[in-house]
Amino acid sequence: MSSFTLGHFSQVCSQLLNHYYGEIVGQVGSYLLRRGNRMLTDIRTATGLSIREVKKALAVMIQHNLVKFQASERNNIVAEYSMMHHNVYCLIRYPKYLYMIKRIYGTSEEILLEILLNLGQASASNVIFHSANRLNEANDSEVLSPSALHQSFQRLAQDNFIIRCPKLAENATLLKVPTLEIEEKEKFAVPNVEIEPIARMLKEKATQLGGHCDSEIIWRVNHERFDIELRNVILVNAAARRVDTTAGELYHLILKLWRESSNPDSPATTPVSYNVIKDAVRKNDSSPILLEHFDHYLRVLHEDSAGLIDKPGDAGGGQFNLDYSKVFENLACASLDSIVLERFGSKALRLFRLTRIQKFMEQDQMQNVAMIPAKEAKMFTYKLLEHNFLQIKELKKGTSNFAPVKSFILYHVDLPQVVRTVLEASYKGLFNAMVRQMHDLTENKRLLEKHAMLESMLERLKGDDGVPEEEIAELSDTMHPAEKSLVEKIHLMSDNLTLGQTQADETILILESYLKFKSKEL
Amino acid sequence: MVSKIVIKKEKVDDARPGPSVPRDDDMTEIEARILELLREYPKGINDKILETHMSNLDKQIQIIVLNRLLKEKKVYMFKAPVTNALFWCLNEQPASIKLKGVDKEENAVMRIIEEAGNKGILNKDIRDQSGLNLTAINKILKALEGKELIKSVLSISVAKIKVYMLFDLEPDRSVTGGSWYTDGEFESELVDIVNQQCYRMLQQKAEAARLKAMDGPLIVRNASFLSSKEMCQMISDLNIVKFNLTVEEIEAILETLVYDGKIEMRMVSDGDEKIKTYRTVETLLSSAAIVRIPCGVCPVIEKCGTVGEVQPKNCAYYDQWLD
Repeated sequence: MSSFTLGHFSQVCSQLLNHYYGEIVGQVGSYLLRRGNRMLTDIRTATGLSIREVKKALAVMIQHNLVKFQASERNNIVAEYSMMHHNVYCLIRYPKYLYMIKRIYGTSEEILLEILLNLGQASASNVIFHSANRLNEANDSEVLSPSALHQSFQRLAQDNFIIRCPKLAENATLLKVPTLEIEEKEKFAVPNVEIEPIARMLKEKATQLGGHCDSEIIWRVNHERFDIELRNVILVNAAARRVDTTAGELYHLILKLWRESSNPDSPATTPVSYNVIKDAVRKNDSSPILLEHFDHYLRVLHEDSAGLIDKPGDAGGGQFNLDYSKVFENLACASLDSIVLERFGSKALRLFRLTRIQKFMEQDQMQNVAMIPAKEAKMFTYKLLEHNFLQIKELKKGTSNFAPVKSFILYHVDLPQVVRTVLEASYKGLFNAMVRQMHDLTENKRLLEKHAMLESMLERLKGDDGVPEEEIAELSDTMHPAEKSLVEKIHLMSDNLTLGQTQADETILILESYLKFKSKEL
Repeated sequence: MVSKIVIKKEKVDDARPGPSVPRDDDMTEIEARILELLREYPKGINDKILETHMSNLDKQIQIIVLNRLLKEKKVYMFKAPVTNALFWCLNEQPASIKLKGVDKEENAVMRIIEEAGNKGILNKDIRDQSGLNLTAINKILKALEGKELIKSVLSISVAKIKVYMLFDLEPDRSVTGGSWYTDGEFESELVDIVNQQCYRMLQQKAEAARLKAMDGPLIVRNASFLSSKEMCQMISDLNIVKFNLTVEEIEAILETLVYDGKIEMRMVSDGDEKIKTYRTVETLLSSAAIVRIPCGVCPVIEKCGTVGEVQPKNCAYYDQWLD
């Protein structure tokens, strides 16, 4: 069960499962990541766990949308289980989801989403109930009414952040292995939720909502929608860097219009006309500069070489759309450029960009156009070649059958290949950061536990009024100040590593999106 | 490059006054015609050609005229290698002190060098064209250099090999590499200085343009462009280089900045001609986020794993970064 047989992406997933769900789920998950579709009995024999443990692990993962099942092809009374790779990877993005929802909507939506993420799959009433409980615990003064939460829930569903899970198909009870399906129009339809039972349960301070009318309609988080939102953040930042912040605002609005009218899976959005954009800007109450120079902003964004806006036609004052493959190609190239710059230096960057833009170059040409001394140019070229950023193509010249034939050696950048290499390296970096974090925490586990215990005791004592000051002081002295500062340092290191993981994830998103849209366009 | 030899017709010196032989007018005419024929056939004429062209010539007179021309060194005679027939060839070199001893070889070499013009010619090529051997060539070249008739120039295209050309000629740009090369060495510091200067100028222009932000982004963008001619002028005004740089050279520098990703180029048509204008651009990302963790820039990332020397648990780069 060693990791060397897993690719870097799967290693990351397995580490995440171990971290968030524990070792048993981690073991089952790793096995499925390595082997693909497997039946229950296979999993049991391979992992050596008891059948009850395996069943529980699978149940947990299915509940959290990490595993799916289907009837085996060879024997359709037995189910085969397989991992949903992307959903497992998205575990690392949950904090980002919460932050985004908080920024776009507010606290109550954030709590709703948090509860839903914790439960995996749940009905609307359940989610509302638990969120109300949570909010009431945190905030004793106000009591939030469930109907307000219901409206928040509806808002989330309208913007497609949550989606309904497929339900049992009609003929499901006839088959041994049930199939699940859902119709397109029902995906985001919020059912009627009865508020009174929930309010009643809340008053009684119950911990569980009993049976309720919409318990058959189950919701989960819509990962694709969050991915789109994360991508949009990157695009808006790029637009703001290229032009200025007002252009960023305009671009944000246009992205929203595109998202509402297009199919999320298509490689290019449907075109939106000039008039529609102008109306949206006016309705949105944007900054006065944007209103005044709306034409100019649109034109500057459109003419920018990054491909942020494309103009396929002139109907209705101008049709504008976004070609994902082109814009993500530019973003992926920008990422690669930055990596080459940091690893090898600016001269290497010049050579890399030169070869990429000119497609095929010979060594001598490269050194002349880039105006870099010959020796250095050769050194950087070979370094880039060694790390697979450049590739070689040999063309033979001369057709002599006798003499050794000289050949042209041309350098070029095979972009998909380089992106894949860097993507693997990014997964590896992410995995390393996680391993390092885990290692730091387990090494100092005793110390951290002692510190946590001390803190909780101090809290409790401070709550009780009758305890004299000296006891509190004495208690806090049981921990050496050096130990305290060490604990501080460990916490800081752990935070840095978490931040590092988030940043690695950002690069991974860009590179993955490029590969995804490139394969779609072909 | 061995091009077909086109022997340049040098001005022939006037005949030195020597013991004059009483000439007939006929003789002069015949002489003139023979000289004409010789010019027509630079490779040489023999009996047969003389017969066909001047059939009415008396053999005796022919011999007398040719002998005279030979003595006056206006023609010279040689035997064809195979047939052993006699050939006469117009002697193009002016009768000067160059003509002595190893004349012919030196002349041949001089001729070859002259043809090469201001691009110069390689040692090897001289050897190929004249058919002489290495030591002879070297001796001749040294002698000619000593007499200050030719000079050698370091060529950049063939990696520090000397080319030879006539003393008075200016070497061509392709040989010396233009302003960026001195003595065959590429001046990278000069290139860097000019590079930074150009980028700074463009940045200043962009800053000035941003002050007009109230007029809208189109005005800001258009105001931040500079054309290559303007930049050339500004660089010359700054006087960082002793000689003037041409517009092409500035464009070459600006192209390297485009390849650095710092500026972009746009062709603008100004009346009839198209001129290149440049402005600074921001990259799409401030930096790829992965480079902010040690693994993104680690030189040994390929050797890293869960076992072995290089592990994230005891990685020195992480230790440094987390402190």
